[in-house]
Amino acid sequence: MKVEITMPSLRPEMKSGVLCTWCVKPGDEVKRGDVLFEVETEKVVSEIEAMHDMKIVSLEAEEGDNVPVGQVVAYAEADGE
Amino acid sequence: MPDKRKPEWLRVRYNAAETNEVASLMSKLGLNTVCTSASCPNLGTCYRHKTATFMILGSKCTRNCAFCDVPHAKAGELTAPDIDEPKKIAKAALELGLRHVVVTCVTRDDLPDGGASVFADVIREVRRTCPGVTVEVLISDFKGDFSALDTVMAEKPDVLNHNIETVPSLYNDVRPGAVYTRSLEVLSHAKEYGTSFTKTGIMLGLGENDEELDAVFSDLHRINCDILVISQYLQPSSKHYPLKRYVTPEEFENYKKKALAAGIKYVVSAPLVRSSYLAAEALEGVKST
Repeated sequence: MKVEITMPSLRPEMKSGVLCTWCVKPGDEVKRGDVLFEVETEKVVSEIEAMHDMKIVSLEAEEGDNVPVGQVVAYAEADGE
Repeated sequence: MPDKRKPEWLRVRYNAAETNEVASLMSKLGLNTVCTSASCPNLGTCYRHKTATFMILGSKCTRNCAFCDVPHAKAGELTAPDIDEPKKIAKAALELGLRHVVVTCVTRDDLPDGGASVFADVIREVRRTCPGVTVEVLISDFKGDFSALDTVMAEKPDVLNHNIETVPSLYNDVRPGAVYTRSLEVLSHAKEYGTSFTKTGIMLGLGENDEELDAVFSDLHRINCDILVISQYLQPSSKHYPLKRYVTPEEFENYKKKALAAGIKYVVSAPLVRSSYLAAEALEGVKST
């Protein structure tokens, strides 16, 4: 199944986050818990983990982009429907 | 956002699925946590381990501390305490399987007892619902009202926590509405009342100097404060008190040595620790000293 990876809300008032570093690239197979990308917020850098085992298909944001919460930053394929 | 580049040690892991599980439970029960309200950087870690610090008495604070991300209550925004909140917290503690329950609050200077009776109700209800758990309360200063403090103390919390937050010279700018000596008196009174352990926390990076910190460590030893948590101030937004500097992990280790040398029994000192972070471990630690 196709999986949408989105910018998470890391705090209640968060409207967007700066995707500072990609830790994966298209074609990579990742396990649940692997770090996909890093987001810099006001207080810290958060390492965003994969929620499932999956294969990265495409990256939809570039390092340095300020991405609104909920917006797709990557697509992946995972087992299941 | 602070213009200072974040050092490499200010990194945390975040897993949305694991975070949402605890967040959903809190939302379902209509509970607030300081983890979300104060944008705690450790939220992902704590929620992953199924722990949280409950924040009672509402989501808005009557004080307006320059360092804090908890919203300040504007006129007409304060509501009466939720009389079911103690039962909801006990239910959440049971569902999460907590062995150590940490409860803090927004400061409610508008309430006659500052919300002390609600703290007491929460302690009673949690102990009734979850036998064997330990309870830590992270209280406000109750404006120095010792009768309010005694209402909490009468329930014998395992840990009485009240943060001094910063050195006295910065109180007017960082923590207006609070008084350094009054916060020391709260901790001192709690100890004299007979609480097992008192605890406090201080943030670094606000502009304090080493001499001031030495004096604080000495003050805390004088009042027999058992546990001290030393952490990095992280500026929540450009509207908050400006971050002066990031303190290195090595410096945190040195401050820990100094605080221990001053006579404080148990000290946790690191950039990302918070006064309620890994609280169960701190309690176990001080018990073994």
